[in-house]
Amino acid sequence: MQAMEVEAIPNSKRSPHDVLEETRTAMEEIAAKMLFIKKDGRPKSDLRELITQMSLLLLSLRQVNRSILMEEDRVKVETESAKAPVDFTTLQLHNLMYEKNHYLKAIKACKDFRSKYPDIDLVSEEEFFRSAPEDIKGKVLASDAAHDLMLKRLNFELYQRKELYKLHEKLEQHKKSLLDTIANRKKFLSSLPSHLKSLKKATLPVQQQLGILHTKKLKQHHAAELLPPPLYIVYSQLLAQKEAFGERIEMEILGSVKDAQIFAQQQANKDSGLSSNTENNRLEEDAPDEEEDVQRRRKRPKRNQVKENIDQAGVCQIHPLKIILHIYDDEESEAKPSKLITLRFEYLVKLNVACVGVEDSEEGSDNNILCNLFPDDTGIELPHQAAKLYAGDSLAFGERRASRPYKWAQHLAGIDFLPEVPPLHECNEALSSEALKGLDVAAGLSIYRHQNRVQTILQRIRSRKKAQMALVEQLDSLMKLRWPLLAYGDIPWALHDPLCTLQNCSSSELIPDSSSFSAVVVGQVAHVIDLDLDRRSVTSWEVESAREDGELPTALPAANSPDDSKVTMANGSSEHVEHSRSLALITKSVTPSKKVKSRVLRKSEDDLELILDSDSELEEHTCIDQEIENVRVGKPWEDHAAKEFTLILTRTYENERNAKLNAKVKISTEYPLRPPLFTLSLLSDGPQGFEWYNELRAMEAEVNLHIIKVLPLEHENYILAHQIRCLAMLFDFHFDARHEKRKSTSIIDVGLCKPVSGTILARSVRGRDRRKMISWKGMGCTPGYPC
Amino acid sequence: MPEMARCPEGGGGGDARNWDEEGYRKSILRERELHYRTVFRTAFAPSLNPTPETLIVASSDGSLASYSISACISSAAQLVHFNRKIDEKPVPDYLLAEPLSMIQGHKGPAYDLKFYHVGGEYLLLSCGDDGRIRGWKWTEALNSDVSMGVQGNDLKPLLDLVNPQHEGPWGALSPIPENNAIAVNEQEGSIYSAAGDACAYCWDVETRKRKMVFRGHSDYLHCITARKSSNQIITGSEDGTARIWDCRSGSCTQVIYPEKNHKLKDCSWVSSVAIDSSESWLACGTGSGLSVWSLLSCECIFSSDCCAPVQDLQFQDNQVLTVGSEPVLTRFGIYGVVLSQIKCAPQSAFSISLHPSGVVAVGGYGGLVDVISEFGSHLCTFCCQGMD
Repeated sequence: MQAMEVEAIPNSKRSPHDVLEETRTAMEEIAAKMLFIKKDGRPKSDLRELITQMSLLLLSLRQVNRSILMEEDRVKVETESAKAPVDFTTLQLHNLMYEKNHYLKAIKACKDFRSKYPDIDLVSEEEFFRSAPEDIKGKVLASDAAHDLMLKRLNFELYQRKELYKLHEKLEQHKKSLLDTIANRKKFLSSLPSHLKSLKKATLPVQQQLGILHTKKLKQHHAAELLPPPLYIVYSQLLAQKEAFGERIEMEILGSVKDAQIFAQQQANKDSGLSSNTENNRLEEDAPDEEEDVQRRRKRPKRNQVKENIDQAGVCQIHPLKIILHIYDDEESEAKPSKLITLRFEYLVKLNVACVGVEDSEEGSDNNILCNLFPDDTGIELPHQAAKLYAGDSLAFGERRASRPYKWAQHLAGIDFLPEVPPLHECNEALSSEALKGLDVAAGLSIYRHQNRVQTILQRIRSRKKAQMALVEQLDSLMKLRWPLLAYGDIPWALHDPLCTLQNCSSSELIPDSSSFSAVVVGQVAHVIDLDLDRRSVTSWEVESAREDGELPTALPAANSPDDSKVTMANGSSEHVEHSRSLALITKSVTPSKKVKSRVLRKSEDDLELILDSDSELEEHTCIDQEIENVRVGKPWEDHAAKEFTLILTRTYENERNAKLNAKVKISTEYPLRPPLFTLSLLSDGPQGFEWYNELRAMEAEVNLHIIKVLPLEHENYILAHQIRCLAMLFDFHFDARHEKRKSTSIIDVGLCKPVSGTILARSVRGRDRRKMISWKGMGCTPGYPC
Repeated sequence: MPEMARCPEGGGGGDARNWDEEGYRKSILRERELHYRTVFRTAFAPSLNPTPETLIVASSDGSLASYSISACISSAAQLVHFNRKIDEKPVPDYLLAEPLSMIQGHKGPAYDLKFYHVGGEYLLLSCGDDGRIRGWKWTEALNSDVSMGVQGNDLKPLLDLVNPQHEGPWGALSPIPENNAIAVNEQEGSIYSAAGDACAYCWDVETRKRKMVFRGHSDYLHCITARKSSNQIITGSEDGTARIWDCRSGSCTQVIYPEKNHKLKDCSWVSSVAIDSSESWLACGTGSGLSVWSLLSCECIFSSDCCAPVQDLQFQDNQVLTVGSEPVLTRFGIYGVVLSQIKCAPQSAFSISLHPSGVVAVGGYGGLVDVISEFGSHLCTFCCQGMD
């Protein structure tokens, strides 16, 4: 517009810029004319004109210039005033744009709004119209109908939802209460078992009363399932024997079932593992041991002992379950049979060995009662090679261990069904052959039953225990220096009242065990034999020289040897005689009121008396050599845990002389199957021991061998009593006739003689060995001695 | 089952699996029986061989068993070796010898045995506690089956002589007296027996009849020996005397009291008599020792008091070997000097027998027989097996 105005002006008048242009051009023409004149040299007069023109032109130029500037100022002002409304409108525009954007954004947000429950749609229009309450429907909220409808619908929705929420709350409440009741009932349920248990417990007395041990049986059976296979066999077979034949035994399973379960799990894990190497196993199991070890070490300063114990425990790890077996007397028919013995069966897991011990042994000697139940079964050594190898030499089942691995226990446990592997290979196999064992056991059980093992072993244990009880009884009576009583009377020695007295009865120490047998006994024997040789100074009879023919005679200048022995013997015995004589006097004066003595005295006249033994050393040394010569080396197991005691029988004669018979009795654990062995020697005051040698041996043979054949089996438990009474009778007899001068014996033989002394009929001696002939009264003759 | 093979070698019993209590009891008694048996007489069987081959043993179970000496020697050596190896036991366990043959000769102990040479054949004579004298052909006896013998071989004896029983009041018969010793005289065809009824009997081998009874001793007879050169017999008795009898008349020509010059002892008996090869010396073993007499002068040469009773003796040239109830074999010189003492196995020896080569066999208590070489070393020692 301004431009139009500016242009309008020149249009009306001529624009100053044009004027400026014309002026300029006019000036340039004049300047050019002036320049031309100057060049032509024309006179200056011409120029004057031109200068005036020129000055005119300059004036006009300045005028124009002023008008131009003026014009410019005017345009500027005009522009200034026009700018303000333009700015205002621009601002308005911006505001509107902003508003618009805001709305767009809000719209978008509304559109984008997601409900918490997107799947629940708004209530449909129809439904709205159908079920909306009037107060919502009737209100008019907006002018726009659609919008109004929408709002109403939304309100309805809101209303509806609130209602529903309330309902939900209510339901929740209900649910909670229901849960509470459920919990209560559950609590009740869980408390039920304990109630039942107590109920069960309460029934126990009733069960006991009625004899239906249901609960206990169940429990035991459950425990039995966890037993290791060998013990399981023991248990099941014993149970079978008990149920089938009414055997009087009771079994219990002791130990914690939990431990057994853990153990069984361990075992199962071990089996399932592919590499069941011994070494791995050992490593695994050594580790906890070591930990324990460390712990204990911290606890106790005595670590040496503890460690040893643990090492031992490692090898002979005992299965947590044990079987207790009570054996009752089977003879009595009463309701309550007496308990004979209680055994404990254990199982050494690592060694695969079953051990047996006497459970309630108060006295230590009872431990040996199970030794040699069957021949060669001392229980000191492990029965299998496998176990031996595994355990090494460290393990010793000596006196201190109550339970030992007897062979019969293995047989009872069915362990012998394991194939005997050559000793070099079996070390590894012994552990991994559990499954194998199972099969074998199944196959072998029929043989097991066929062999009646359970019955055999039970019977053996029973008879062993009874024999031991009988033996203790007899020994007690002997220790009190009383003749043991005989129940069985149909034998001559039962009718014979001993004329001699029991002077002394002392038990020697136990014979050394065969565990230490090889070393100790041999040492002793050698020692004693040396002693023997020294005493008698007779060259030893050398075994190794038996073959060498060219050897010089093992002879010696014998002139001094018999003399020597005689001198020592005579010295010893004469001393002894005096000593014992004085002793006898002393005891006589000091203890006149002794009951035993008076009893004995009453029984016979003054020719016998009880002399309390005081000093056995003197007596012993005279008989040492003879005893040792009698040593016969039997199998070492036979002597295991054998008891030995010494009896001294005394007979005093009218002429104040007395004869003493020293009887060393060895009772092996196999009593009475292996009868006690008597070794006799004479402590007589007679000068010569050899004179009586044959008589003593004959008496030994009679006591050790022949009367055993005469004795009926049912009395064999009292064999010791019989032997001692028989010995007393033989002693009476053999050392009786000796001192009365023999009247010329009748030539007529025994059968025709009148009885001489009342009980025994005798022709003095017979045969080349000059043995006494004895015919029993009431029994007919003895089977001809010695066979 | 393989482990069945591991039964203990004792024989009886077994273990819990096949328990045989009766068998085990028997085996224990059998073992004891072995220890209480006595060998009453040993004799070397006659043979042409200069070294001893076979030894006959009469023992207290009435058995007559023959043993091969060489077999015993070899197995004894093995046994000793074996023992050494297992456990160094210094006390030897004696070898249980396996007999070549065995005859159940007598009921009760068999006391004596002798060989009777007739017509190029040998009769084995034995006597025993049952009062019998029995004779077998030696070759048959030797060849009798051992396996049968263990069960008690009832090989029929060629000769079976029984001592007479004495009749008492009301016709009661005494038991048959035992025969403690026998002696033979082949020239006369006689067997002399020392019986338990204090008589000695002379039996005729051909007719099997009693030819003579020698009465006079007051107690039973222990021993008898024949003095062939003068047809006499010498008996030793429990009554403490030895008597010399004339076989033709049956009368006692001399009574010898070997104990007479000893201080009086109430117990004395003559357990053994022996004469030397020249039949001029007589040795009597008594309950207290030994006395040697000259038969020509009827004087006591010496009398030695041993500490143990002498139970058997033998002349070897001019030495006397004696054994008694102590485990030594003593060798006396003719003038009563003890030349040597050799320890022998039986604790009480009842028999000493001499082989021409100088080998001596000593038998005695425990069923033990000790064979000692002419140099005094032990060839072998064995324990005789008994009858079952």
